[in-house]
Amino acid sequence: MTLSGTEAEIVNCVAVVKQATKDRIGREVGFSSEYIGFLCRILVRKGYLLFSQGRYSLAEAGIKALPSEESGRRDREFIKEVAGELAREIRGEMKRTARGLRRPVSAGDMKKETMMGSTEEPIKICTDYDYPVEDESLALESNIEKIGTQVGKENSGDMDRTVRLLKTIHERGRKK
Amino acid sequence: MTKPKDEKGNENRKGQINKGKGVDIGTVFVKCAYKEGDEIVFKSQRNAFFDVEHTDFTKKILDNSKVKYIVKEDSLYVVGDDALEFANMFNKETRRPLSKGVISPTEREALPMIEMLIKSVIGAPRCQGEIAYFSVPGEPLDAEFNILYHIKTIEGFLETLGYSPKPVNEAHAIVLSELAKEEFTGIGLSFGGGMVNVCLSFMSVPVFKFSVAKSGDWIDQQVAMAVDETSSRVSAIKEASLDLSKQGDVSKIESALSVYYNHLIEYVIENIKQEITKARRLPRMNRPISIILSGGTSLPTGFSHRFRKILERLKLPIPIGSVRMASQPLRTVAKGALVAASADESRR
Repeated sequence: MTLSGTEAEIVNCVAVVKQATKDRIGREVGFSSEYIGFLCRILVRKGYLLFSQGRYSLAEAGIKALPSEESGRRDREFIKEVAGELAREIRGEMKRTARGLRRPVSAGDMKKETMMGSTEEPIKICTDYDYPVEDESLALESNIEKIGTQVGKENSGDMDRTVRLLKTIHERGRKK
Repeated sequence: MTKPKDEKGNENRKGQINKGKGVDIGTVFVKCAYKEGDEIVFKSQRNAFFDVEHTDFTKKILDNSKVKYIVKEDSLYVVGDDALEFANMFNKETRRPLSKGVISPTEREALPMIEMLIKSVIGAPRCQGEIAYFSVPGEPLDAEFNILYHIKTIEGFLETLGYSPKPVNEAHAIVLSELAKEEFTGIGLSFGGGMVNVCLSFMSVPVFKFSVAKSGDWIDQQVAMAVDETSSRVSAIKEASLDLSKQGDVSKIESALSVYYNHLIEYVIENIKQEITKARRLPRMNRPISIILSGGTSLPTGFSHRFRKILERLKLPIPIGSVRMASQPLRTVAKGALVAASADESRR
């Protein structure tokens, strides 16, 4: 399993800081804490990080993923090679554009790509997926539990009858 | 009639259904309703916080005065009703984890705060995977934001706590709580802090549901700008003493509040008219339907009378019977969510 650039940066940052909140990692890596929180949750699921009491620390896969000195040297050489290739490609691309060789996208192609103006069924997006959310409040200190919340009570009256009626109506609807 | 199951089932010997929780996650309050024997218990927490200087001394004073607080790293926040009092004392605004019915995009402490407040009212599940219905707003007609992130975040958090969470539209929950005698057919209207939610339900099925991103906060902000006051102070006056039926001898703030209440009611009714006209196939309603008003913004004396007067003038394209306040306007969403949760639990 490979890590994206930012994921690797997060793992490196946690390795240095040892135990870090997502705010701290966000400051170190230079992204918003919401985005970092999202990536950290993925890293916890993949087994790179551990999460406890609002702080992230390295898990086994995270320790294994840390770059050794040798791999660092190899990476630098590889990056140099890729950057050189990329520079050559961009130079060629710029020349082609300047000579007017770039073909404009036709309206038909655009429709095909974006589905704009299509009479087909609108795209349905599935939202029935799990979105794990950590309990970030574990990192907070509070006296709410000690003082308690505002509590009110009322007689349930005919709530049970309401519940049964709702069930009956739903069952009737399902049979139809 | 359904036979009561034994105590291992979801109904006890008296035929009571005691499992399932309903959570109302509103811009101003977070509430949870659950059944305990013959009673429904409501736990509530105001959704506001205010930063104060963080010293051990301040913490001690707050502890002794039983003022709720939350500490996050170097910051100390007073939370709940006391936050409103502190804000008024310092002539500043409170901060809110929710804005316009959803997790505030601009409030950096929104997520841990809302999690802490939800946890304090809902507690631990009473059985593994207990069903918890939580209220969500409808898609806003007049704002460009999407509610999916809000729904998925709350859902994910309740799952982390061990619940089986399910969303229910806020206005639909009002119908489930208040319109059993009309077979869950009618219009539920929730005038909350950040939004007004509307649902037309037919036999418990929502025909349409939507929200508008103007409500109590909008009134407070407009009045505050009109009379040069803070929104927190306007809100405190509105909640404590506003009487919309009062004629003559009204203060400048009360008069401005009355103007903006009129504007909001007209705006909501016009939007309902438009949605009814847009709906292609409305179910045939054999008799006039009821409208239930609820939510913190509907609390001032004279609100339902004002609503009825404006409705008579603007008229909806479907026959309307009674227009009435919910029996407990601040609890009805949580109760409706509880009805849905209990129905689901008794099916398991």
